[in-house]
Amino acid sequence: MHRFEERQEMKKHVLVIGVGVLFLCHTGTLAAGDIKGKVKARGAKHNGDAVIFIDKIPGKTFQPPKEHATMDQKNLVFIPHVLPVLVGTTVGYLNSDDVLHNVFTPDKCAEKFNLGTWPKGQVRSFTFKEPGCVPVMLCNVHPEMEAFVVVLENPYYAVSAKDGSYTIKNVPAGKYTLKIWHEKLKGESQEVTVMESGDIVVDFEIKR
Amino acid sequence: MTKLLALDVAANCCSRETPHWHPHLTGGHMKRIMLGLIGAALLLLVSAGESYAIPAFSRKYKTSCSTCHYAAPMLNAFGKAFRNNGYRYPAGTDLEMTKEEPVSLGAEGQKRAFPDAIWPADIPGTSPFSVRAISRVNYQAIGDVKWNLELPHELELLYAATIGENFSVFGEAEIENEGGETEIAFPVFLQYDHSPGLHIRAGMVYADPTPTHLRLTRNHYNVASLRSRNGFRLRDDFAGLEVWGAMNGADGRGGFTYRAGIVNGQGSLADVNKEKDFYGRATYKIGGLGEIGGTEGSTSEVVDFFIDNSLTLGAFGYVGTASKAGSPDEDFQIYGGDADFWYDRFILNGMVMFMNSDITGKTDQKSFAYYAQGQYVLYPWLIGIVRYEWEDRDTDSDVVKPINSVIPAITVMARANVKFICEFKIPLDDANKNKNTFTLQIEFGI
Repeated sequence: MHRFEERQEMKKHVLVIGVGVLFLCHTGTLAAGDIKGKVKARGAKHNGDAVIFIDKIPGKTFQPPKEHATMDQKNLVFIPHVLPVLVGTTVGYLNSDDVLHNVFTPDKCAEKFNLGTWPKGQVRSFTFKEPGCVPVMLCNVHPEMEAFVVVLENPYYAVSAKDGSYTIKNVPAGKYTLKIWHEKLKGESQEVTVMESGDIVVDFEIKR
Repeated sequence: MTKLLALDVAANCCSRETPHWHPHLTGGHMKRIMLGLIGAALLLLVSAGESYAIPAFSRKYKTSCSTCHYAAPMLNAFGKAFRNNGYRYPAGTDLEMTKEEPVSLGAEGQKRAFPDAIWPADIPGTSPFSVRAISRVNYQAIGDVKWNLELPHELELLYAATIGENFSVFGEAEIENEGGETEIAFPVFLQYDHSPGLHIRAGMVYADPTPTHLRLTRNHYNVASLRSRNGFRLRDDFAGLEVWGAMNGADGRGGFTYRAGIVNGQGSLADVNKEKDFYGRATYKIGGLGEIGGTEGSTSEVVDFFIDNSLTLGAFGYVGTASKAGSPDEDFQIYGGDADFWYDRFILNGMVMFMNSDITGKTDQKSFAYYAQGQYVLYPWLIGIVRYEWEDRDTDSDVVKPINSVIPAITVMARANVKFICEFKIPLDDANKNKNTFTLQIEFGI
């Protein structure tokens, strides 16, 4: 092999090793795992609609998503019933019914907003600015309609399915306080450690 | 809620609230008349006013009473649109809005087999029955018994349903205390719903232009209670055939309604004369929710189930014959107009009515009555009402003096289906001065 070719081959190896090192360093800083588990809701019809979320992460702030979250009004029901959002997120309220709907909240932390009414297929929106706020969403026209927006400080949250299962994906390695919110039930916070790889399982039991 | 007073109507005599027999008829003649009247009265007892507060619909759609009611039984704009669609959700969305799975009475494909198969339909998946109970604590300033605990006053077994795509039914079985008499009624109608613009109804029809059966007060509207000389009044019940319909305005707002019908008239289920009565009514609504609903053009910054900023103007007429024992038949004509103005939490409405009475051998008589009513939603559960009523039974007579009164009332919706009414009636004319009455009405529906 000529010296020139040897030099080129050496460069290739260095490049490959360098890329490999960089990749390892890179993945090392973003090491993340999932938090999974089950929620057992005692005294509720099902185990769903509980919000499991990581409490404050000191020193870190998160930008709200540019895309709006959506809460639908269809067949006289808010969908979803519980909508967790990162603080600063704008929620668009869609009227999918051919009847008049309204969205308002009596809660101060959401400025007691009242969006009026709008025709089928149209959207009105509101931006939630206060972390920790859990405003109830109501409809002036259909008093039985109810939903909740849970305003959180970071994007690490999940809503339990009816069978109680939940997954918070891609949580950076570290120690956190994992909390749970339910519209009627209460549960204890749990201290958790997310390793650089692998999932952890955290179950909750919530009751009145 | 409804007023039967069947014996009173049949006898065509006496006070408005206490039935008793005509005093001067005796012997065989009296016996025959009595038998006839008893028979007529028994038949009349099956009639009662139309009711609309139906918890069965709440169950069917899993929605609150407030979806359709300003405060039950008074309908809000959507409740009227729901009714105008034949007790269905507007814009053909009834199926998707129905939360109770109906029971099929025939597969959709049976339509293809027609006429060799019965046209398919469905019925509600659960019981269409509801119960409404009304109790009263009554006070009258003049009388031996000043306080009367009428607990209960009335019990209604209500039922309502749609049958497939084109039929609907509505009815009730009702037991009511009226002046110490227990009365039973079971009005019902079957309605063919071709479209919101065309319904054909058989059975109990809506000849009374006032919202008597949908009112929030204990006292009936005076124009509905005004009797002709032979005892006819609009608030009595009417069985017959009716064609009616509704449509939205050009921009999807407001709109037009009409109804026309033929009824037995006085006597309801058992006509007391050979003549049939005819009636008609039309309204035009400016602004507000469309008469048949939909959300087109309904953008608003202010919304509540009791708000429908609009003005509705109406006209009505009724032509009939009234009979009374010992008197020639009375031909009468009723006509009038009304206005209903809704703005934010405030409603102002009123109605004027003229009645011309023609009895062979007697001088023609003209009557005139009106009412004006204002109501305000202090809170969605607290409504203040004031009504002023005025009537002159014989406008050409100086002997028959006009009477008038004011009716202040407070309606408290303790729950969407539990209501209290505190109501005074204060006569203002000399003849009835100091005959003040007070009622605490307690209602619930389940």
